[in-house]
Amino acid sequence: MNSKPLHIRLFDEVFSGTGIWPAVPAIIVLTVVAVIPFGVLLSLGFSDIVVSRGVIVSQELSLRHLATALADPLYHTTFQRSITLALTTTFFCTLLGFPVAYLFLIGGPWVRRIILVLTIAPILTSGIVRTYAWIVILGGRGVVNGVLMDLGLISAPLRIINTPWAVVIGMVQIHLPIMILPLIAVMSRHDRRLDEASANLGASRLGTLRHVILPLSVPGLGTGASLVFTLSYTTFVVPQLLGGGNYLNAATMIYEQVVYSLEWSKGAVTAMILMATCLIVLALFAWMTHLATGWTRVAQR
Amino acid sequence: MSEAGVLSSTTGAAQAAPVVAICKAVKRFGGLTVLDDCSLTAQEGEILTLLGPSGCGKTTLLRCIAGFLTPDSGEILIDGRDTIPVPVNRRSVGVVFQSYALFPHLSVAKNVAYGLRMRATPAAEIATRVKAALATVSLTGFEERYPSQLSGGQQQRVAIARVLVLEPRVLLLDEPFNALDAKLRGTMQMEMRHLIKRLGITAVFVTHDQEEALTMSDRIAVMRAGRIEQLGTPEEIFDRPQSAYVADFVGASNFWEGVAHAGRVALPDGQSVATALDGPVRVMLRPHNLVLRAVGGEAAAWDGTIRFRRHIGALMEYEIEVAGGRMLRAVALRDDTIAALAGGDRVSLGVRDAAACVAFPPA
Repeated sequence: MNSKPLHIRLFDEVFSGTGIWPAVPAIIVLTVVAVIPFGVLLSLGFSDIVVSRGVIVSQELSLRHLATALADPLYHTTFQRSITLALTTTFFCTLLGFPVAYLFLIGGPWVRRIILVLTIAPILTSGIVRTYAWIVILGGRGVVNGVLMDLGLISAPLRIINTPWAVVIGMVQIHLPIMILPLIAVMSRHDRRLDEASANLGASRLGTLRHVILPLSVPGLGTGASLVFTLSYTTFVVPQLLGGGNYLNAATMIYEQVVYSLEWSKGAVTAMILMATCLIVLALFAWMTHLATGWTRVAQR
Repeated sequence: MSEAGVLSSTTGAAQAAPVVAICKAVKRFGGLTVLDDCSLTAQEGEILTLLGPSGCGKTTLLRCIAGFLTPDSGEILIDGRDTIPVPVNRRSVGVVFQSYALFPHLSVAKNVAYGLRMRATPAAEIATRVKAALATVSLTGFEERYPSQLSGGQQQRVAIARVLVLEPRVLLLDEPFNALDAKLRGTMQMEMRHLIKRLGITAVFVTHDQEEALTMSDRIAVMRAGRIEQLGTPEEIFDRPQSAYVADFVGASNFWEGVAHAGRVALPDGQSVATALDGPVRVMLRPHNLVLRAVGGEAAAWDGTIRFRRHIGALMEYEIEVAGGRMLRAVALRDDTIAALAGGDRVSLGVRDAAACVAFPPA
């Protein structure tokens, strides 16, 4: 047996870099910031509480809030709106992001550097700042209306800000980098010999894009779409600021329930429905990605 | 094998119009001239090899023929027509890549069908032609496999079938055996040569491996720094190298320094080699052209000491130190007298066939 004292052996074991030990700091952080709050959320959602001076004084198990929420037409329209907004954002981010990633693939080192900088730079600015910028651009006296009126294309300012489309425009701009980055990761591993082989076999550039590059980008598309969907489904700042305060999506609903009406249990239930529906859509994305990447899972020789 | 028949047919075709003709091709990358006034022709049904060390421009030349690169000047003709304006996907040129470049997301059958699909061939015709192409490379039954499920040799055959199914005018092979292990490489070289000959297709083949070039080719173009150093049959390249560079690159060579007088160079063993040069020369002595004999006390015209010996299967290789500390390499079939020679032994040296020695100007 090992004759070293217990504390030395324990020290050796912890810092040996084997087993579960290297993951312990992350596990502790996740427990504190994710698992415990989620437990609190669940307990709030499934109970009736009485709050006095910001402190819960009594708590009883109850499914009342969940039942009310599921039957409430306001919930139905709000979640419908949220899902539509998130899917529209994901769609436009894919539509705009893929060509950028393709440009990254075919571009030289300088084109690649510029794309990378232009993609990452917006992330360095807060989403709130970027959203306020859109107010300046899209507002009644904003840049877009100014230019259109100076060109004589319109006589009165268009109402862009405070419409659902303003929210979509803002959402796409905020989340586009999140779509582009995973695609770029896939593109930078792409073997350009495959494109040459495709051209040599008679494919046009479009044919190569359609039959070689696109199918091999599916993992990146899946990751990008999942991230963009999750973030835009649960976002709160953009709809709040560009929707003019009357654009209610799931996240703004939670905010109002918790901050304005102080209905914590109601907010907790809304948050749980948001999480559950989000997971369903993500599972759907994962399933579609799975179908399109069957070739990666064939039995290796 | 009908190697003799192949050779005579090549000689016969030499008068016909070439399938591939490269005229004064020049390609520069930045300040670096990779192809320098390269001219070359490949005849109908011929296997032409571009042989040279890495960086000699052989792959660049191949990529110019395929259309992946455009030469800065010069012409590349296929069947007499200029290919430079023809886009990559319209050239009747099939490329087998070094890494095979099989589409990992497509099955074997779909990989082979790819080119036909791009040409909007009817589905029924695709099916029969893919079947025939896979039969040609003996891969019937592998249709539904994915490239990752195949061995290196099988992947290579898919790459060949994928190109052959389109019946290209010219087949380009870019070091296709590099990724294979040594034993399989030899088999695949012979298989590939038989296949290309059976189909009668014109092939341009790139390699840095001189043995592979000698095995595979009807003619070899030895390249050096973007130029064709010598173009000829494997026999001509091996037996009659036109420069010390070719002599050194193709087959191992000893270079013995001598002096030419009146059209002949005297070798130390008493024989002499004919040459057009005068003054100091370097004479190529192939290791197998040196004869070793054990010496006892008697004096030899040319002798040396064995410093090192090495078994190469049926052959023995010796490194012999001769006068002046120079080392010569000799190779002989291992028989009893040869096997009896060991390190430290004194041996007499002779040249088996003085006519097979070639003199070059000094370095």
